[in-house]
Amino acid sequence: MINFFKSFSTWIIIAVIAAILPLIFDSSFSLTLLSKMGVLIIFTVAYNMLLGQGGMLSFGHAIYFGLAGYASIHILNGIGEETLPYFPTVLFPFIGAIVGLFFGSLVGYVSTRRAGTAFAMISLGFCEMVTAMTLIFVIFFNGEDGIQTDRMVGPEPFGITFGPQIEIYYLILFWCLVAVALMYIITKTPFGRMSNAVRDNPERAAFIGYSVRRVRWQAFALSSMFAGAAGSLHALNYEHIGFESVSVVQSGAVLFMAFIGGAGHFLGPIVGAIGLTYLDSTLADVTEAWLLYLGLTFSGIVMFAPGGLAGLIVMHGPIARTDKKLLISLIKPYCLAISSVITGLIGLIGIIEMLYFRSLISKGEGEVVIFWTEFNANGIMSWLIFIALILVGIFLSKKTFPLAKESWDHAISVVKTEISNE
Amino acid sequence: MNNALQLKNVSKSFGEAKIIKNLNLEIKKNERHAIIGPNGAGKSTLFHLISGHYKLTSGKITLNNDEINNLEPHEINRKGLARSFQVTNIFPKMSVYENIRCGILWSMGFKYSIVRLVNGDKKLNEKTYSILEEINLKHCAHIPAGLLSYADQRALEIGITIAGGADTLMLDEPTAGMSNSETERAVNLIKQISEKRTLVVVEHDMGVVFDLADRISVLVYGEIIATDTPKKIRENKAVQEAYLGTEDH
Repeated sequence: MINFFKSFSTWIIIAVIAAILPLIFDSSFSLTLLSKMGVLIIFTVAYNMLLGQGGMLSFGHAIYFGLAGYASIHILNGIGEETLPYFPTVLFPFIGAIVGLFFGSLVGYVSTRRAGTAFAMISLGFCEMVTAMTLIFVIFFNGEDGIQTDRMVGPEPFGITFGPQIEIYYLILFWCLVAVALMYIITKTPFGRMSNAVRDNPERAAFIGYSVRRVRWQAFALSSMFAGAAGSLHALNYEHIGFESVSVVQSGAVLFMAFIGGAGHFLGPIVGAIGLTYLDSTLADVTEAWLLYLGLTFSGIVMFAPGGLAGLIVMHGPIARTDKKLLISLIKPYCLAISSVITGLIGLIGIIEMLYFRSLISKGEGEVVIFWTEFNANGIMSWLIFIALILVGIFLSKKTFPLAKESWDHAISVVKTEISNE
Repeated sequence: MNNALQLKNVSKSFGEAKIIKNLNLEIKKNERHAIIGPNGAGKSTLFHLISGHYKLTSGKITLNNDEINNLEPHEINRKGLARSFQVTNIFPKMSVYENIRCGILWSMGFKYSIVRLVNGDKKLNEKTYSILEEINLKHCAHIPAGLLSYADQRALEIGITIAGGADTLMLDEPTAGMSNSETERAVNLIKQISEKRTLVVVEHDMGVVFDLADRISVLVYGEIIATDTPKKIRENKAVQEAYLGTEDH
């Protein structure tokens, strides 16, 4: 029993923190935000079974998320109108999971015959197809309006109606923990290991007795199943589902979260889902250019840190294990490099904000607030300040980056000699 | 019939080009059989045909009297044939330990399970370590395979090849690019692992071939011009003309 708690201690701590969070941040905004995070964590980790664990880039995984959502809403409405028998709200993720598994097995059977670019294209094609169907089959999808529902149906065991947001939050939290734990355990099964093997070297995997296609198909179906469970919770959370939930936009969002967080590591997508959901809800109110920043961040991660945020942390693991002092010696060059990047970014953000301001607001007004400071977008001075910041940032980066790289190379060479001496 | 592998009238064309022409070959159980031939003779193509990587244009291949020429690579592997590749073919991001463990999974009946865990499995663990010991890589079990030296990566690949318990092994140029001492180590390893197994090996290093093989087949332009013991191959006029004559052996 003690061992059990030891090996699960991290999970238990996270669960307890997540359970306490809504008591501290009890505004309706934070409750909605936390609920959304929970749903998207399940969806992103599920998506990463494909991208990170199985090496399959899908542009259409929202299909299973969205279709499960539609199914859940119809069933809720059916129960509400008493055309369908009662089904406990708590168990709704099972409905989503079954819907996701069904469509995932179907589409996966076709699309996993091919890997790489062909797979990605097929996934995109299916996504466009389903999105188009939402506008054609109005009876089921109700076009652009989507469908409303009322989640307060049936009996109320222990007085739980799932009306208040806090009750939905705890429902989402419970299923989030269960789903993430299950997906984590799956990475430790023969299937999970072979999924990684197929990702790294499909040819080799075939010659040790595994059907590459079968492994990919299974990964696809399971990933869709968990995405479906997330879709059900999404529907319960909003009491509404619309065509955008099956669209390429939603598929792209989950790709961004998994990739920026770090597809190569199990925790990466969780970090990505929490971080991007938070920024999406807060930054979107502050700046019109939020999507531009998101795109730039994504491009930056693809180019400079393909392992995502988690990858950046994990790559320092061997250094920390070899010698803590080595890790500490990296802090100073890193801080210098980061602050020069930030200087340049402040300049860039200033320019972007003023450009957006100029293009959106009538020419007469010039006062724009950037970083809590008022600038005059019509005056030459503000532009010069930000351009100067960009130039200073670039100049400093040229000095500090080689320094940081040198320190990193030194540290990693020490680690390599340590390993070969063992 | 004590043939491990039998090829009957096997042909393979890529468009107009006939790479393998009506080839017949018998590999006896538990023999070490080397296939030699000049560059472009079709040795690697032949390996790809037997292991299911390419489909035959015509002909028939049997493994332990089972027809295998219409099967997928993983199905052929399950019937007891394992192979290595000319270019090192391992799982570079996984640890050495895990490379071997993946090679064992199917043969121990783990299949595609999502309800069994691999980490706590004692038998699997023991089997993995026994193979690591066989290929002398136990000391670096938990290093990412991509960080191993070239010779160690080749040894690891042989380890993956034997891990599934196949009784017929096919090694494609196992000593290519190795130094003399590394080659010697590799040959000893190959001798040791092929003791109770059938071995088919493609190799350019004639020293290795004549040291290792019980019988040798000479492949020239998609046809086998001779199959015999090393001594007789050395004396064979046609072989000398076609192949050995150009090198000093």
